[in-house]
Amino acid sequence: MSRVLLEVADLRVKAGGFLLRDINFEMMGDEYLVILGPTGSGKTVLLESLAGLRDIAGGRVCLNGKDITHEPPENRYLGFAYQDGLLYNFLSVRENVLFGARARGMAGDPGVIRRMEQLVESMGISHLLDRSPKNLSGGERQRVSLARAILTRPEVLLLDEPLSALDPQTRHAMQLLLKEIHSAEGLGIIHVTHDFSETLQLGTRVIIMNNGRMEQVGHPKEVFFYPATEFSAKFIGMENIIRGIIRKDNQGQLWFVLENGDLNFGPLSEGSFGTGQLPQTDEPAILLVRAGNIRLEHGDPPVTAVNCWEAVIRNVFFDRTHVDVYCDGKGLWRTSLSFFEWENLGLGEGDRVRLSVRPQDIHLISGEGHCDAEAMPSKGFKKYVF
Amino acid sequence: MKDLQCLQSTALKQNRVFAPAQTNPLKSMKINWLQLSFGLVFVVLTGFMAALIGGLFVYGKGDFLAVLRNPEFRFALLFTLWTSVTATLLAALIAIPAGYVLSRQRFPGKALIETLMDIPIVLPPLVSGVALLILLGPVLGEVLTRFSLDVVFSARGVVVAQCFIATPFAIRAFKQAFDSIDPRLEKVARTLGFSQGMVFLKVTLPLAKGCILSGLTMTWARALGEFGATAILAGITRMKTETLSVAIFLNMSIGDIQFAMSVSMIMLFLALLLMSLFKFFTSSEVSQ
Repeated sequence: MSRVLLEVADLRVKAGGFLLRDINFEMMGDEYLVILGPTGSGKTVLLESLAGLRDIAGGRVCLNGKDITHEPPENRYLGFAYQDGLLYNFLSVRENVLFGARARGMAGDPGVIRRMEQLVESMGISHLLDRSPKNLSGGERQRVSLARAILTRPEVLLLDEPLSALDPQTRHAMQLLLKEIHSAEGLGIIHVTHDFSETLQLGTRVIIMNNGRMEQVGHPKEVFFYPATEFSAKFIGMENIIRGIIRKDNQGQLWFVLENGDLNFGPLSEGSFGTGQLPQTDEPAILLVRAGNIRLEHGDPPVTAVNCWEAVIRNVFFDRTHVDVYCDGKGLWRTSLSFFEWENLGLGEGDRVRLSVRPQDIHLISGEGHCDAEAMPSKGFKKYVF
Repeated sequence: MKDLQCLQSTALKQNRVFAPAQTNPLKSMKINWLQLSFGLVFVVLTGFMAALIGGLFVYGKGDFLAVLRNPEFRFALLFTLWTSVTATLLAALIAIPAGYVLSRQRFPGKALIETLMDIPIVLPPLVSGVALLILLGPVLGEVLTRFSLDVVFSARGVVVAQCFIATPFAIRAFKQAFDSIDPRLEKVARTLGFSQGMVFLKVTLPLAKGCILSGLTMTWARALGEFGATAILAGITRMKTETLSVAIFLNMSIGDIQFAMSVSMIMLFLALLLMSLFKFFTSSEVSQ
């Protein structure tokens, strides 16, 4: 059982006119925690606050049970790397990697030199040691920056958008490297990004940030299929976000009804709602369905069918791996099929089709206001195991 | 032979037929009036500067070596060098922290403080001299005398006047130097284990080195040529508070044109040297 490495409670940070507030989370020793959010959501402010680079207005940060809330950055022993490498051009690559050791008076230590040599070898930058950082590529700079950050064996590595300035091939290589560092070094990583695909590929847990607050905490796949708020749903690219209302039928079953009232989804169960609680009748709600979870078929829907409706294909977009089909039927719906499935259907734009969704793929969230971080499905979503 | 003639005739015909129509190159040339007028300004300006410097050389070359051997000139040169270097170093000591604070900190009244610091740039040097004379004479004079630190009408006054005039240039240059450094480079150094003071010494200063050196050069140049404030605060006393600028003024006023011209040439050489240094530091900063 992994121990709690980092504990953040009621953290509150002022950064000019921006306020980071109500930040609460625990990080285990072997976690790869991703902080995800759009520009201006407070991700970097949070990361810098953890590193001690910002004045903390309230709350507590504990590392290994020790309160480090007001410790200066040099006493926290946390590794930090920014997106563009940020190397010191007046030093060689070797001096850059050893810069942290120099700060702690260990640059001449044979053990540190050996560790540096092993590190640069494993990261594929040993041939760059005597070069100036000015002549390095983006990927090389980022590797040197990582080597510098982890040389003195920090317990937590803080990464601020480490992949965003890299081209796709280098980014992929860096993702593999980050995974290797995470497992080989046995350290906790907090990785800030605005890219949800990075979250899915690297993260063991994700915190979605919005306007200085935590919007949702959970496993990346859990967040992918079951976002807890409308913001989370939009940010991670949920394809179908439909507003409606909860109604009860004569038999006491709950249904999600579209705003125009002529399409019902259900019957709803506890699992349909992110909080795991049955909603009240006439409560506004938002239906979230992944494009891949909407089934597209030939023909008209049966009269008695539930969760099934008629639509007309409006647009078809071919991507590298799949086909996105936009259908118009009691709203605009986006479905996603593989090339093979699409070719087998033999359909085209303007054709009438039948759309359906399985009850277990229906996910509903509250249609009112903001959703609190404490009520997020990281605690409530026990039934989803990946 | 016939074939050759035939070929030549065909070639001529082809040439006549296919050669582009001969046009007047002046007519086809489009004149960019904007570029032309701007270029003209540069030509006139360059010609004016060349004539200015050339005139100084022509009139000042006379007995140049005799002036170099003149004790008054030697005093003025050495006096100017030590006072201006001291003033520049003092200006740097003030301007580095001031420039850093103005670059990195936000505080109420910052714009007002920046304006106050810039006052010596816009104030006529004579007015600066009068203000310094009042402050260091009637206001603080007694205190300074008690500590044997008289400033008025002394060599110290020269250093103070030069420093006062040159410091705002240094503050501006250093502020720009610190502005150009990504603060995240300093933040990374903090996380690597350096204290705030060590970050300034190990990261900020090395990163700003090129800009600081070019700023120092311009500050020195400003101190070197200072006259107005120096004249009011330290006085114009031969062989006592006689800087090169003062020497030119004194000798022009008594009609020793040859001496004044030769000193002017020396100052011109110094200015060219400082400008070259400035350009060198600026270009090395750009290439980093």
